[in-house]
Amino acid sequence: MTPRTPGASPASHATVTLDREKLFAARLHAVRARPYLATALFALHAVESRQVPTMAVDRYWRCYVSPGFVDRMPVEELAGVWVHEVSHLLRDHHGRGDRVARQRGLTGPGERLRINIAADCEINDDVFGDGLARPEGAVDPRSLGLPEGELMEDYLRQFRLGAHLERAAWLDCGSGADGLERPWDLGPDGAHGLSPQEQDAVRFRVAQGITGRPGDAPRGWRRWAEEAFHTPQRWRELLGAAVRSAATGSGAGEDHTYGRPSRRSAAVPGAVLPSLRRRPPRVSVVIDTSGSVSDAELGSALLEVASISRAVGGRRDLVTVVPCDAAARIAHPLCRAEGIPLIGGGGTDLRTGFATALAARPRPDVVVVLTDGQTPWPERRPPCRTVVGVFSRGRRRRTWDEGDPDYVPDSPPDWARVVDIG
Amino acid sequence: MPTDTAYAPGPVPAPVHTDQLDVAGELLALLRDARTEPRPDPQLEALTLAVAADLPVLLWGEPGIGKTAALTHLAASLDLPLTTVIASVHEPSDFSGLPVVGDDPAEQGIPMAPPDWAVRLVRAGRGLLFLDELSTATPAVQAALLRLVLERRVGTLRLPAGVRIVAAANPRASAADGWELSPPLANRFVHLRWAHDHDVVVRGLGGTWPRATLPRLDPAKLPDAVDFARRAVCGLLAARPALVHRLPSGETQRGGAWPSPRSWEMTLHLIAFATAAGSARDVLSLLVRGTVGDGPGLELLAALDRMDLPDPETLLADPDHADLPERGDLRQAALDGVVAAVRARPAKSRWDAAWALLVRAMETGAPDLIVVPATDLAALREEDWDVPAAIERLAGAVSLSRRADRAAARVAVAEEAAR
Repeated sequence: MTPRTPGASPASHATVTLDREKLFAARLHAVRARPYLATALFALHAVESRQVPTMAVDRYWRCYVSPGFVDRMPVEELAGVWVHEVSHLLRDHHGRGDRVARQRGLTGPGERLRINIAADCEINDDVFGDGLARPEGAVDPRSLGLPEGELMEDYLRQFRLGAHLERAAWLDCGSGADGLERPWDLGPDGAHGLSPQEQDAVRFRVAQGITGRPGDAPRGWRRWAEEAFHTPQRWRELLGAAVRSAATGSGAGEDHTYGRPSRRSAAVPGAVLPSLRRRPPRVSVVIDTSGSVSDAELGSALLEVASISRAVGGRRDLVTVVPCDAAARIAHPLCRAEGIPLIGGGGTDLRTGFATALAARPRPDVVVVLTDGQTPWPERRPPCRTVVGVFSRGRRRRTWDEGDPDYVPDSPPDWARVVDIG
Repeated sequence: MPTDTAYAPGPVPAPVHTDQLDVAGELLALLRDARTEPRPDPQLEALTLAVAADLPVLLWGEPGIGKTAALTHLAASLDLPLTTVIASVHEPSDFSGLPVVGDDPAEQGIPMAPPDWAVRLVRAGRGLLFLDELSTATPAVQAALLRLVLERRVGTLRLPAGVRIVAAANPRASAADGWELSPPLANRFVHLRWAHDHDVVVRGLGGTWPRATLPRLDPAKLPDAVDFARRAVCGLLAARPALVHRLPSGETQRGGAWPSPRSWEMTLHLIAFATAAGSARDVLSLLVRGTVGDGPGLELLAALDRMDLPDPETLLADPDHADLPERGDLRQAALDGVVAAVRARPAKSRWDAAWALLVRAMETGAPDLIVVPATDLAALREEDWDVPAAIERLAGAVSLSRRADRAAARVAVAEEAAR
C-alpha cells in the first residue's frame, strides 16, 4: 500500500528474516486502536513472501508480507497498513474492482493500478488518526486534489495516471484491492483461504460490532456497516418499481375483466369467462419544493415518472402534473416538451396539491408526489395509490428550523410507498 | 431448393449432400457436441436441496441466463419429468380451472376443469413443475398461480406429493410490469438469486459446460442432521427473540425473504437437508439467507460457526493435544471461551490447564491472539494459586504486548503534538 522507497530493491532485503513479533505487535496495536475491526484483523492469515513489494492481500483473506518492509516500517505505521489492507477486503474492493472493470471496459495493468489508487483514496480519507498513525506515503484524495468521502467508483472517474502519481506507481495492495491476480498469490486452492461465506460472516460480525456501538467508529465505517448487507438500490429503479406496481394494481393496467366476454366463451356455452382488457392508468404527479432541491434532480425525477407511466401504458394525455409554486418554473418547460398537460397550481402546502390532483375528473389511479419532506401530510389515505419520492439530501440538510429548534418534519405516512431520491 | 448446378459445378459429381437440411443438421450436431467437466455449483446445489426438501423455490434472475437450462439439468438428475408452464401466456382459468357447464348446474354445480398438463402430472404422480415468467403475468394470473404454489391445487385437481414446484421471476429492476410479492407471499418462498458465472459461460460457449455433482442425502446422517438443525435454530432464537418475527420495512426490502416462524421452520428443514447431504457452508448460506433474509441468515451462520468451535471443557481436559482452530478470529473466540469456562467454574487445575492451552496456542499460531485471553486469565488468579512454570514460555507475548503499548504511546504523543 505504501510506495517502496525507490532504490531499495527487494534483493537487498533478501537476507532479512521476517520479524514476526514486530508484525504481530503492530496487529495488536491496530486491534486496540480499532476494536470493531478485531474479528477481521485476526481473520487475516499472514504469509511471508519475498516477491511482494510491501504488504498485499488476496481475495481469500491472505496477507502477503515482505520481511524487508516489516523491517523498515515502525510498528505504529505497520499497524496503519494492517488496517488499510483489511479495509480493502471488508469493502470488497476486489469484487467491486472486477465489476467496474467489466462495466466500463477497463483493461490492462494501468487501469488496475488506477482501481487500486481509487480504492486507497476511499479508505485513507478517514481510516487514520485517533490512535492510528498514517503510514508514510499513503495516497489520499487530498494529495490528488479530489474531494473526500467518495467511493472508489467515483474517484475512478476523476483522475488519470501521470507524472504526479509516479511515486504511487510503486504501490501494490494485491489482488484483494483490485481483483487482478498477482504472481505471489496462492490462489483458491492454497491453504488458509476464506470461502465467500466465511468472508461474509466476518464482514457481518464487523458490521454488527459497528452498528451495535456506533459512537466508536468514524462516519465512513458507519455508512459501510449500514450498507454492508443492504446494497443501496438506485432510486430510479425503486421509483420505477413503485410506480409500476401502483399503476398495474387492481383498477388500472392490464387485467381480466368480466365487462366483455372472453374469446373462449364460445367453447364453454353458458359460462361467463373474463377477458383481458388494458386500461391505462392515469398518473398525477404532485411536485412540491421549497427551493432546496436542485432543478436537475427535480427534472430527472419528473422525467423518470413520465417515462415510467408511459411504459406501463399511460398515454401522454393521461399523465398530469400538479405544480406547487416554486416548482412551476421547472415543470412548465419540461411538460411542454413532453406534451404533458398541466393542471392546478399554487400553494406550497402539499395537502392542497393532493386535493387538486384528486379533484380532477376522471380521478387519477396513481398519485406520485415529489417532495423534500418538509410538509404536513393529508390526515386520511387518499382514495388511490400513492407513491412518495422524497429528496433525502434536502431533507437531511434542513431538519432544523430557526424559530423552533425542536422542529422535526413529519415523516411520510404509512399508507404511501416511500422512495428516497438522491 | 437450390439448383443442382449451384452446388455441383463442373463435370466432377458432387458429394451426396444435396439436401441442404441434412448439411444443416450435421452442422448443428457439431455445434451441439460439447463436453462437460465437473465443477461445483453452489447455486444448483442449493436449488436441488430446496427442491428435495419440498419447499417452493423462487428463482430471481435476468432473462436468458440459463434458469431453464438449470431446471432441465436438475429434472434429468432427479429423474423427474419436467413440465414447463409459461405463466404469462395463460389465463387465470388455466390455473384455477375452466368452468364446464353440465346438464343441471343448479343441482350438480359447475366443475372447474383442469388443463391437460395438470392432468398428466397427476397421472404420472411425480414431476418437476416449472412456472416460468411469473413476473410478466397479469395480477389475476399471478393470484391463480399462487394458489397453485401454496395449496398445490389446479382447478379440482390436487397435485400429488411427488410433484415439486419451482417458479422464476425477473428482478424488480428489470421487470416490465409491477410484479411484486406481498410480504405474506414472499415469506412462503425460498428466494434464490440466479446469476451467471462469467467464466462458466465463456468456457461453455467454447465447448465445455460444467457438470455439477448433485448432493446425495446420507441415510446414516439423518437423526444427527435433525438434531443439529434444531439445536442451531433454537439456540439462536432463544438468545435473540427479536429475530423470530420481523416484517420487512422500507422499499429496498420489499418482496424479499424475511424472518417469521414459518420461514424459520423452512430454515430448520434446509439445515437438516444440507447437513444430511454434507453440503458446503456456501450452499447453506444461499438457502438460509434466501429464506429468512440476509441479516437473520448471517446471524444464524455466525451461530453455526460458534457451534463448530471446540468445546472449552474438551480443550481444558487435554490441553497438550488440543486441536485449536487455524483461523485467527475463531482461535481467539475459542480461547475466550476457555477463559470464560474457567471464570464460570474456577479451580487451580483448570486455571493451569488454560495456561497450558495458551502456551500451545502461542507455539502453533500468531502470538498476538493470546494477549487478551492471557490478561483475562491472569486476572482470575486467586491468592493461594502459584504461577505455573509454563507461563515463562509466554514471555514472547508479553514483550509483544509491551511493544504495542509503546507504539500506542508514540502515536498519542505525535497526535498531541500535531494538535
